[in-house]
Amino acid sequence: MSLKQTTSYRAFKAALWGNNPISKQILGICSALAVTVQMKTAFVMALALTLVLALSNLIVSLLRHYIPRNIRIIAELVIIASLVILADQILKAFLYDVSKQLSVFVGLIITNCIVMGRAEAYAMANPPVPSFFDGLGNGLGYGLVLVAVAFIRELLGSGKIFGLQVVPDGLYEAGYSNMGLLVLAPGAFIVIGLLFWLQNTISKEKEY
Amino acid sequence: MSENTRSVVFAALLSLICCVLITAACTGLQKYQKANVELDRQVNVVRAAGLLEGDKKFTAEEIRRIYAERIVSAWVDSQGEVLLSPPPSERTDVYPLYLCKEGDRLYATIIPLDSRGLWGRIYGYLALARDGETVVGFSVARHAETPGLGGEIESPWFTRQFKGKKIVDFEKNFVSVSIAKGEARGRVPDDRMANTVDGISGATLTGNYLSQGLKETLQRFEPFSSRLRKGEADDLRL
Repeated sequence: MSLKQTTSYRAFKAALWGNNPISKQILGICSALAVTVQMKTAFVMALALTLVLALSNLIVSLLRHYIPRNIRIIAELVIIASLVILADQILKAFLYDVSKQLSVFVGLIITNCIVMGRAEAYAMANPPVPSFFDGLGNGLGYGLVLVAVAFIRELLGSGKIFGLQVVPDGLYEAGYSNMGLLVLAPGAFIVIGLLFWLQNTISKEKEY
Repeated sequence: MSENTRSVVFAALLSLICCVLITAACTGLQKYQKANVELDRQVNVVRAAGLLEGDKKFTAEEIRRIYAERIVSAWVDSQGEVLLSPPPSERTDVYPLYLCKEGDRLYATIIPLDSRGLWGRIYGYLALARDGETVVGFSVARHAETPGLGGEIESPWFTRQFKGKKIVDFEKNFVSVSIAKGEARGRVPDDRMANTVDGISGATLTGNYLSQGLKETLQRFEPFSSRLRKGEADDLRL
């Protein structure tokens, strides 16, 4: 069996494009609005979420035969919450600057619908390895959209990429100014909407 | 085992395992976290005093050395008297601060700031020169403002602006330093430019709260600052 036919590969790939958590499952929109003002926070958030998501999927999937159905949601939540606290503690101990940057957002991973959604929809019904890759794929699919949105918002909103000035001073002197709307939450809504439109247009063309 | 007992047993076991894991991680990592927090405090204190200028990166060791050489903890009371040893706990009119020394002379006073913010408290330091009116530097140690908006208060472009600002007006009356709504030029009268820094667009509320917090904090230390303005800095031996 070649790599491309494994369930793990398919679970991984689907989440990146065709079943992208943000643009297709419409999950995790809140955090996509909040952390995409700068590429740096978007990037670290994507990384932290991918890690938590892959591990929570793996653990939930390992326990899926033991978790009683009537308390499965709360059991999933306990696992996710513990992982997030662990991630937060480790960041505070070894990557203090990053943890300060992310401040409240690390804790908010718990409330990110993607984590809960994938545990419910995929990990509870599939073996550990594909579940792990499903988590990885969904995390990266989320990260892809996050970084794309952050790129547009940081470039047009503050004239920077990863905190480095890219719009030359000369342009500002010539009358160019940053687009303030993009720094605010409504700007993120517009950018995300446009990206969905773009993705849907491309996907449709492929079908015909 | 009935369905219900199974649920209870599973829930108890899962909680127990998670508890043990988290407790182990927290206690195990506490040593590193405490060291980070302590170093972060020292970095922000010496940064406010303007000792970390330029693009040079400082190692943890250098920060600790600068801190040990230049910074002393002190307390001032409501009469503006300086205490160099911890005051008795029953005194409630005493506020802690840091003094930065040059030789045995006072170089700057570093005032800890604890201000309201939009989402939580903003902690930082504002340093005043020995003349008691000129700001030497400002640093934000901890806050919960929105990254990219209110969170910009910790960015160098924002904190740098405080350097050289005055906390008094032309008649030497205390007015504090405030944050404008957006760019200060054109929004505040020219004679107030020395007391105003540019605000952050999209973060007017954070700016307002911080202005208010700065004013309240500086007011508390005003008895001491006004003595410095009378030229009493040299009376102090550190």
